Amino acid sequence: MNSDVQQVNNFFNNKRFRLSVILVILGLAYLGASIGLGFQTRSLLNVQNGVIWLIQNFIPNEASKGYWNEIIKQLFRTFLVAVASTTCAAVASLFLSIIGAKTLTPAITISWVIRAFSSLLRNIPIVAWAMILLFSFKQNDLTGFLALFFMTLGFLTRAFMETIEDFGTEKIQALQATGATYLQVIFQGLLPEVAVALMSWVLYMIENNVRDATLVGLLTGTGIGFIFNLYFKSLRYGAAGLVVLSVIILVVAVELISNLIGRLLS
Amino acid sequence: MLTVNHLAKSYDGEKKSLTDVSFSIRPGEVTVIIGPSGAGKTTILRSINQLIRDDDGEILFDDTNMRDLNRAQLRRARCRIGMIFQNYNLIEPLTAIENVLHGCLGTKSNLTGIFSIYSNQEKEEALKLLQKVGLEDFAYQQCRNLSGGQKQRVGIARALMQHPKIILCDEPIASLDPRSTITVMDILRDLAINDGISVLINLHQVDIARNYADHVIGINNGQVVFDDRIAALSDTAIARIYQKDANLEGSAIHEF
Repeated sequence: MNSDVQQVNNFFNNKRFRLSVILVILGLAYLGASIGLGFQTRSLLNVQNGVIWLIQNFIPNEASKGYWNEIIKQLFRTFLVAVASTTCAAVASLFLSIIGAKTLTPAITISWVIRAFSSLLRNIPIVAWAMILLFSFKQNDLTGFLALFFMTLGFLTRAFMETIEDFGTEKIQALQATGATYLQVIFQGLLPEVAVALMSWVLYMIENNVRDATLVGLLTGTGIGFIFNLYFKSLRYGAAGLVVLSVIILVVAVELISNLIGRLLS
Repeated sequence: MLTVNHLAKSYDGEKKSLTDVSFSIRPGEVTVIIGPSGAGKTTILRSINQLIRDDDGEILFDDTNMRDLNRAQLRRARCRIGMIFQNYNLIEPLTAIENVLHGCLGTKSNLTGIFSIYSNQEKEEALKLLQKVGLEDFAYQQCRNLSGGQKQRVGIARALMQHPKIILCDEPIASLDPRSTITVMDILRDLAINDGISVLINLHQVDIARNYADHVIGINNGQVVFDDRIAALSDTAIARIYQKDANLEGSAIHEF
């Protein structure tokens, strides 16, 4: 064996050694966490009993068919809340992200303020938003709408800002060189270039908010989340299972539609 | 027509990108700026229309100092200075004709510009300019589907839409194949000869400069080291322009 081959062997041995070390560390981390929690790995062996119970009880049966009308109605409401909050937030985000993007901001301090503001909105969990707003706005769709709106505003402002900054300064300068004004540069240059990218963020957020709206509804006592909670607590597991199924169908449908729109746009 | 006096610029406040650059260009001539990468060629060009705010000196365009203008005045002055770029900097999802019409944004009101409301005269002119650069069949093509040479020609048409007195060209052929290079350079030379537009070009390629320039300005390390007619560009002059400066460790010396 010549020394070159030996070198290649050493290289691969080193790589395997590093991988083994990482695996050992992950294993130790699991062990440490389980001991800390008093979690017994053995109990994973009994998990099938729980799964069987779940399947037996949550599979929708004849009796749960009667709930379809109510479920569809609430599902539709929840969907509308998600769409309305996302689109409203998208419009506000577009404005904030343009004046907040480093490449287009009128003053760098505005950019920092908007960055901090959107980070604050984003980093309050949706559950906390719903609970806080519940006190001021009570149990209705507006509370859910606002919770989703604030979280989406924080997220989309950040996402839009990065998309706009990726657009770069070169094309902005090219239009400035023609004597174009600030607003002309934005409408004639920036928006045509980033429209598709921004649209796909909005579609992603609608998908995400349909899921989140379910959770928010559970907390604010509206929409599909509320009736899930209701059926669940009144031991109507079959109907609750039907709610879960309907949410899954809706989310998958929204995802398929948004993929389709995304393809049509680009 | 355009005179640059004692232009100085530094990006970080310490190392000078331009130390003391002075030159003037004549109407209807092709003036080429050559020099190694990082010598300050792009900085000079972008200082002229104030895309880069310079630190010191004066830029006299039609006897007004570009550095003294307020926003509205600068906008009006920029209308008469066309510019084309190495990366074309077109708005790619828009069509060729829309990009050409961007050239007249500077003369339009905010609202008409925003909503793409152009007069018939402007539309007619845009079509004529596309014809002039040989792209009349591509007017409604999205620019992202055009080749590099075609994009650069759209860029030229956009600059011409401004009715410029001068066109600034920042490495216009650095991303082009040899055939497109000739097409683009021929168009630029014809603009100087037939339309009396002054053309100021940043170039890497000395052989192209020899074929097309009337006047050459050599820049090295932020200073003008050569400023003469193309006939005077001897091999020793080229060597001086491209000589490696002791302060510029690792800067590339260009093959020519």
